[in-house]
Amino acid sequence: MLHVADLVVVRDGRRVLDGVSLVVQPGERVAVHGPSGCGKTTLLHAIAGLVHVDAGSISLNHHDVTHTRAHQRGVGLVFQDDQLFAHLDVADNVSYALRVRGVAKRERFIVAQEWLERVGLSGFQYRRPTSLSGGEAKRVALARTLAGEPNIVLLDEPLSGLDDELHDQLLSDVRNLFDQLGTTVVHVTHDRAEGAALCHRSIEFATLSTKVITHQN
Amino acid sequence: MSEPVWHPAPARVALVVVLLWLGVFLVAPVLTMVGGFVAPSDFSRILTVPSTWRLVWFSLWQSVISVAVTLVVAAPVTWLIGLHRFRGRRLLRATTTVGFLLPSVVVATAFLAVLPRSLHYTMFAVVIAHVYFNIAVVVRVVGARLELLDMQLMNAARTLGASPTVVWRTIVWPLIRGATAAAAAVIFLYCFSSFAVVRVLGGPRRSTLESDIALRAFGIGDIPAATVLALVQLVIVVGVIGVVRRLSGHEHGLSHLATLPPTAVAHRQRLFAFGVAGVTAAFVLLPIAALLWRSVQVGDTLSLAAWRTIFDTSLAASIRASIRTALFAGVLGVALAVLTTLAIVRLNTIGRLVDLLSIVVLAVSPVTLGLGLMLTFDIGWFDWRAKWWFVALAHTLVAFPLAVRVLVPAWRTTPIGLHQAAAVLGAGELRRFVDIDLRRMRPAIVASLGLIIAVSLGEFGAASLMSRADGETMPVMIARLLSRTGDLMRAQAFVLASLLVAVCIAALVLVESALGRSDRVARR
Repeated sequence: MLHVADLVVVRDGRRVLDGVSLVVQPGERVAVHGPSGCGKTTLLHAIAGLVHVDAGSISLNHHDVTHTRAHQRGVGLVFQDDQLFAHLDVADNVSYALRVRGVAKRERFIVAQEWLERVGLSGFQYRRPTSLSGGEAKRVALARTLAGEPNIVLLDEPLSGLDDELHDQLLSDVRNLFDQLGTTVVHVTHDRAEGAALCHRSIEFATLSTKVITHQN
Repeated sequence: MSEPVWHPAPARVALVVVLLWLGVFLVAPVLTMVGGFVAPSDFSRILTVPSTWRLVWFSLWQSVISVAVTLVVAAPVTWLIGLHRFRGRRLLRATTTVGFLLPSVVVATAFLAVLPRSLHYTMFAVVIAHVYFNIAVVVRVVGARLELLDMQLMNAARTLGASPTVVWRTIVWPLIRGATAAAAAVIFLYCFSSFAVVRVLGGPRRSTLESDIALRAFGIGDIPAATVLALVQLVIVVGVIGVVRRLSGHEHGLSHLATLPPTAVAHRQRLFAFGVAGVTAAFVLLPIAALLWRSVQVGDTLSLAAWRTIFDTSLAASIRASIRTALFAGVLGVALAVLTTLAIVRLNTIGRLVDLLSIVVLAVSPVTLGLGLMLTFDIGWFDWRAKWWFVALAHTLVAFPLAVRVLVPAWRTTPIGLHQAAAVLGAGELRRFVDIDLRRMRPAIVASLGLIIAVSLGEFGAASLMSRADGETMPVMIARLLSRTGDLMRAQAFVLASLLVAVCIAALVLVESALGRSDRVARR
């Protein structure tokens, strides 16, 4: 369970997040909509521990992780532009989280193969990220995040930049995968249809901020 | 396939000019040395004596130690500049470059001024001076690579459970390993052929191959021995350059621009960052301050006597000689560099070979080059060695490869679309060259000019062999003054060194601002 309460992030003197609150139940998938630049990505980065939080709290499964460092949170993040490690092959990318936990190479490779099968990329183990198409790279990025078995998965517009056919195919595959795994997900997107198709619940980013709600009221 | 927008003829003409130039002033001197002055028996005479291998061994191990210490000393400031943005970042980066642009003889003199007498003529003095020079290489080469790293890659690794140490080991290090190796190799080359630093700070017992070549050629008159040693040095240097080329070819992760560029220094690291910036600036600036301080000391008393003598005959003559040599080398070197760059960017396969050739030129050390030129142009019907511009020819060869390294990337940023647009509007080859290439390249050309002038002003190896007594350049005069006894002459050496520092810093400012403009043009 994710519980974000009154989160404030200040950057260069500007409040990028101003009193944002959000609750996501275990196994629930929540889509957060909003226009570009409204702070969606900053919210995900705050939950992942990648930006300094100035006020408010974040708890995961009832543990306060507000000041826990990113690598100790157990939060997975799929980046908008994938951020695959170009110097590693696909299998090493997928099994990276296992590598940092000290899992043996052979075991990592087996796990990577399993995840690649699940995302429809069997046989891609030795490929370099630079040789992948846009859709393939996004599948590898998703597999890499899920292979680490995070408590929650954050999706930062992971399906952007794909053509319609590929987008719909990948959306369907990702939804099936999440259904099988029962993954808890926060998915930020400006595409309402995508959010509705993938998630159980959709929220406008603007409504997450108590201050904004007060203003709207 | 589209029609080519440029004709290959101008690039071919440029290639011929460059090859002719290099043939006459580089290849011919080297061949003259080998073919005209060395017999096979000279190889066995030199290569079988233990003293030769002691020389090689000393050149190698002092270089390896200098490389290791430089990497350790430069690591914190490279981390700071490469991965962070903060107020004063450009200034700090420029400050670290000061050492690299300062003439080697000036740096050696500065360390004589700043180190206590007990450390003069020690290995410590030699290594610390080498570190001073080469911090800039690490900051520029590895720092530039770090700047290109996408911070989001590190964030991705962190969200996958990697601690900061693991992120460095598994993500950052593999991506900067090639750049670090390349920087280490460049530093190795500089230290391996170190001349002024070893001569001024190493004391009489220490000698590198480079300083021994000069000693044998002009101190003892054993030209065959000097030539054999020069060949040994050349073989080692070419080998290291080969390794550098190989390593710098294996780079990953540069296929896209960073989506998240360097970030601000984290709160908890601010004190450390401030300390790193302060210590680095002090390390670079203290020797210069000591130089200035010693220039106003004659014996134990404060005095401007040494400064008043800069208008005296010999000092003023050396200043004049340095200025005219640097200007001549600058203009000629830029012309040569532009022609070389034209050949590199316009001729595909041959262009790559010319690119390689422009790097191989660096393998011939200034002392070897000076020796070769002196031997080759020792001809009766025209006294080359009496001409003041003879030294400038050597400086042109020493410095133009560096200018090529500035010009090639700048030229390659010109979008082909600009040429295509101008061509369909009726602009011919020359018109487009002037209106598009030269216009966009202007800042890079200015930077190249500043670079060649700075190198020429400080060049010591070739100048110490080629300068006539009435036309000695400032670095040669500094070394001569330091080798004599007398407080005033020592102070005069510090005065000349201070003047060279001022001119080189001015050149640095010129190069920095021109490179900044060049970057802005490239982004257009």
